[in-house]
Amino acid sequence: MKEKKFSFTPQTLWNIAIFVFFAWFIFAFLVFPNLNTIVSVFYQNGHFTTEVFDKLIHSTKAMRSLRNSLILAPSLSITVGFVGISIVLITEYFDIKGANILRLGYMTTLIYSGIILVSGYKFVYGKTGILTNLFAKIFPNFPINWFEGYWAVLFVMTFACTSNHMLFLRNAMRSVDFQTVEAAQNMGASQFRILTKVVLPTLTPSLMAVTILTFITGLSATSAPLLVGGQNFQTITPMILTFANNVSSRPLAALLALFLGAATIILLTIMIQIEKRGHYMSVSKVKTTIVKQKIRNPILNVLAHVYAYFLFLIYITPVALVILFSFTDAATIASKKLTLSSFTLKNYISIFQKATSYKPFLVSIAYSAIASFCVAVIVLVACRILQKRKDHLAGALEYGLLIPWLLPTTLMALGLITTYNSPRPWMFNQILTGTSVIMLIGYIVIKIPFTLRMTKAAFFSLDDSLEDAARNMGAKPLYTFLRVQLPIIMPTVLAIFALNFNGLLGDYDMSVFMYHPLRQPLGVYIKSLSESESNADNAALTFVYAVLMMVISTLVMYLVYGRGNKLDESKK
Amino acid sequence: MKKISRRSFIKAATMATAAVALTACGGSSSSSTTASSTAAASSTAAESTPSNQGTGVTLNIYSNSVSDGRGDWLVERAAKDGFVIQYLDAGGADVQNRLLAEKSSPIADVVFGLNAIMWESLKAEDILIPFVPDWADEIPAGLNDADGYYHAIVKQAILLVHDQNQMSDDEAPKDWPDLWTKPEFDKKYEYMTSLGGGTVRNVLAGILTRYADPNGDLGIAQEGWDAIAEYYKHGVPNEEGTDLYGQISSDTSTVLCGQMWSSGVETRDEQYGTKTGYAVPDVGVPYAVEGVAIVNGTKNEEEAQRFVNWFGSAQIQGEWAETFSTLPANTNAVDKANEFNQKIAELPAQQIDWALVAENIDAWCEKIMLEYMP
Repeated sequence: MKEKKFSFTPQTLWNIAIFVFFAWFIFAFLVFPNLNTIVSVFYQNGHFTTEVFDKLIHSTKAMRSLRNSLILAPSLSITVGFVGISIVLITEYFDIKGANILRLGYMTTLIYSGIILVSGYKFVYGKTGILTNLFAKIFPNFPINWFEGYWAVLFVMTFACTSNHMLFLRNAMRSVDFQTVEAAQNMGASQFRILTKVVLPTLTPSLMAVTILTFITGLSATSAPLLVGGQNFQTITPMILTFANNVSSRPLAALLALFLGAATIILLTIMIQIEKRGHYMSVSKVKTTIVKQKIRNPILNVLAHVYAYFLFLIYITPVALVILFSFTDAATIASKKLTLSSFTLKNYISIFQKATSYKPFLVSIAYSAIASFCVAVIVLVACRILQKRKDHLAGALEYGLLIPWLLPTTLMALGLITTYNSPRPWMFNQILTGTSVIMLIGYIVIKIPFTLRMTKAAFFSLDDSLEDAARNMGAKPLYTFLRVQLPIIMPTVLAIFALNFNGLLGDYDMSVFMYHPLRQPLGVYIKSLSESESNADNAALTFVYAVLMMVISTLVMYLVYGRGNKLDESKK
Repeated sequence: MKKISRRSFIKAATMATAAVALTACGGSSSSSTTASSTAAASSTAAESTPSNQGTGVTLNIYSNSVSDGRGDWLVERAAKDGFVIQYLDAGGADVQNRLLAEKSSPIADVVFGLNAIMWESLKAEDILIPFVPDWADEIPAGLNDADGYYHAIVKQAILLVHDQNQMSDDEAPKDWPDLWTKPEFDKKYEYMTSLGGGTVRNVLAGILTRYADPNGDLGIAQEGWDAIAEYYKHGVPNEEGTDLYGQISSDTSTVLCGQMWSSGVETRDEQYGTKTGYAVPDVGVPYAVEGVAIVNGTKNEEEAQRFVNWFGSAQIQGEWAETFSTLPANTNAVDKANEFNQKIAELPAQQIDWALVAENIDAWCEKIMLEYMP
């Protein structure tokens, strides 16, 4: 008895320590600062302000933008889902010629995003875009502003938001148990039937997770509506950002954000319930690598190839043009008229000549890497708890960690710096504002919900019997976790690491309030360049930095993810 | 077989963390070298001229006016006179928000740049402490804060510009209201959809304060709000990522005029091949006055005072103007400005009640966003 008690204690201590850590972390960084902001925003001069509600309801613009956001989110979930599933099938399931090149094209969304991505699409479809010029030549009355409004936003975002599908759905597809597919084939099932009844159902947990992400991306759409939405399709996030930067308008920003937050909570709750109901199994126990399926119907096969390469063109043209135009000047970018003389290396030379301009790269690389690593560790531990316990405490943990999805980044950043510019007992009376640590905390906090969502999906597809087997053989829980479970979900964890890293690399919204004066991150540096008063070549410089960031992102993707896959393949 | 893959994953992970540690070290070591090099520079300069001398205490400076190499120039130039400074470079609104958020434990010692609207609001929020520098009476009347909280260093005219290649000065608008009262300018001018920038806020202040009325909504008569409604109705929204001059020189855009700050004109003419003309309204043009002030709660007040004395002096502002083509507020340094800025200096200034603007600008922008912006 005594002995048993002894061996039991360290484990209990661990559990208590982990519990205390999470309770402290969620309270100190997620709950208190944000609550602090919300209360200070609505509770002014000793009473709650309600006039913000009236202001919003009487503003036709606010109401229209809100409606647009709510239309965009579900429609985007459907279109992105369709394109996302098709590119995963094209590259991983069906036997399509040139799949490796196609995959590279489909993966371009991993290395660029935001304003730059939408600008790339405008080079093709905008008023002076290549395609528009072509149409205008063929049909003299072709309206050059055709690429504007809801459909344009939906189009751009449909192809811009498939990154998560390309990473996570692909990972899930690669671990589909091929023996079940073979079994279905032996029973004479048609290709279509196997796809819809065997393959797609095993992808469900990942598919649900990426659909949530798409929905949230749709709700908080910023760049695409700004650039191609026109006057009739503006969304709510640009408004929130404007109001958040105005001290007296912050109640409006918070209210609008809370409204989007409510929509997110409803969706998350539904998804979490669905997840609880079914326990999905997708990882094969005896690994039989998937064999690519040749489409047997020749007509369908040709159509599939045409479709695959058509998608490829849509993906690759904008990024190619962004790189091309980064070698020109602002005047050329504005007019979009390329001649041989408009090409210049001046932009690149001016960046590499300045000794100071490489430092922001180092700062951002270090911060993004450390933050992405910390997030991965914190979330792995959290997911392990979520997997073991299904009680209220686990529920509180999950919802607590999802809080950052409910508020715009600007408000969270302000919450953190206003909370920790005075001593707080739970922070050991340390002032964090102005130190190098606070931006790291900010970076970690904003990446938690996404990381949690995706890691959890990977955890849920783990086979419990693996763990049971390890335990029966006498393995300790920690050992089982590190040696049995972690390796299986490692591709997903690494993919998340790479995505988080790339996302944080150019962050501006969080960084601008939190960075240490001596350690200026890349996003802030680029913004200050592009908004500088006396330099007129801003547009070109923005493109140059975008291309340099693409290079880093590609490198990270290759190191963390591409190489992992190659190792994976080489041993087969 | 599986074991190898696990190991290689773990290996990859450890390599990643090692890389992190390496880059982290690289970041901190490079910053410490810059700090020590500036300290070394300051100690050698300590023996030269005695007035306006720094003592080597490190000052934290916040500014929106240190891009384009201005910050680096300032660090070096200040080191020659014994000042050790490090600067934070961010947009005007961001600097303001940061100062507000850090109010209870300030990090900045000195702040410079911004504009009168922001200065008034910082003063009202108790972010600044008064200090009248030696050069205060070298500044033209009306630009410094009467209570001595902030003092002017650089003047910037906020202009309504057009391209003379496409529109002669006779055809061009003479004042902002022309844009929406004369049909020929319908859809010919650009307005900003984001109201966070300093320039757009000066434009709005310049229009709205013409209709100041204590009984009106937010201090502005209904007539003024009607004018704003018309301004947005007849204009063309700006395009994110494309500059006004990009629109002016583009074939597919109808835009021919819009708002521009004076120091941005010359480089844009060079870049886009335009020839800028600007309106000279009877009421004058709004001037965005960049200033300098000391932050309330600084631990280095005396050094900050020495820095302000040094930075706004005719000598340093003259060098600043020569190097970065600015228009100094200091009358003893104006002759150092280039030809274009000399002309800008002669434009009549619009009389604007900056305190009224500072008190209401956020609310005005909010109202415009909610009610008038299409």
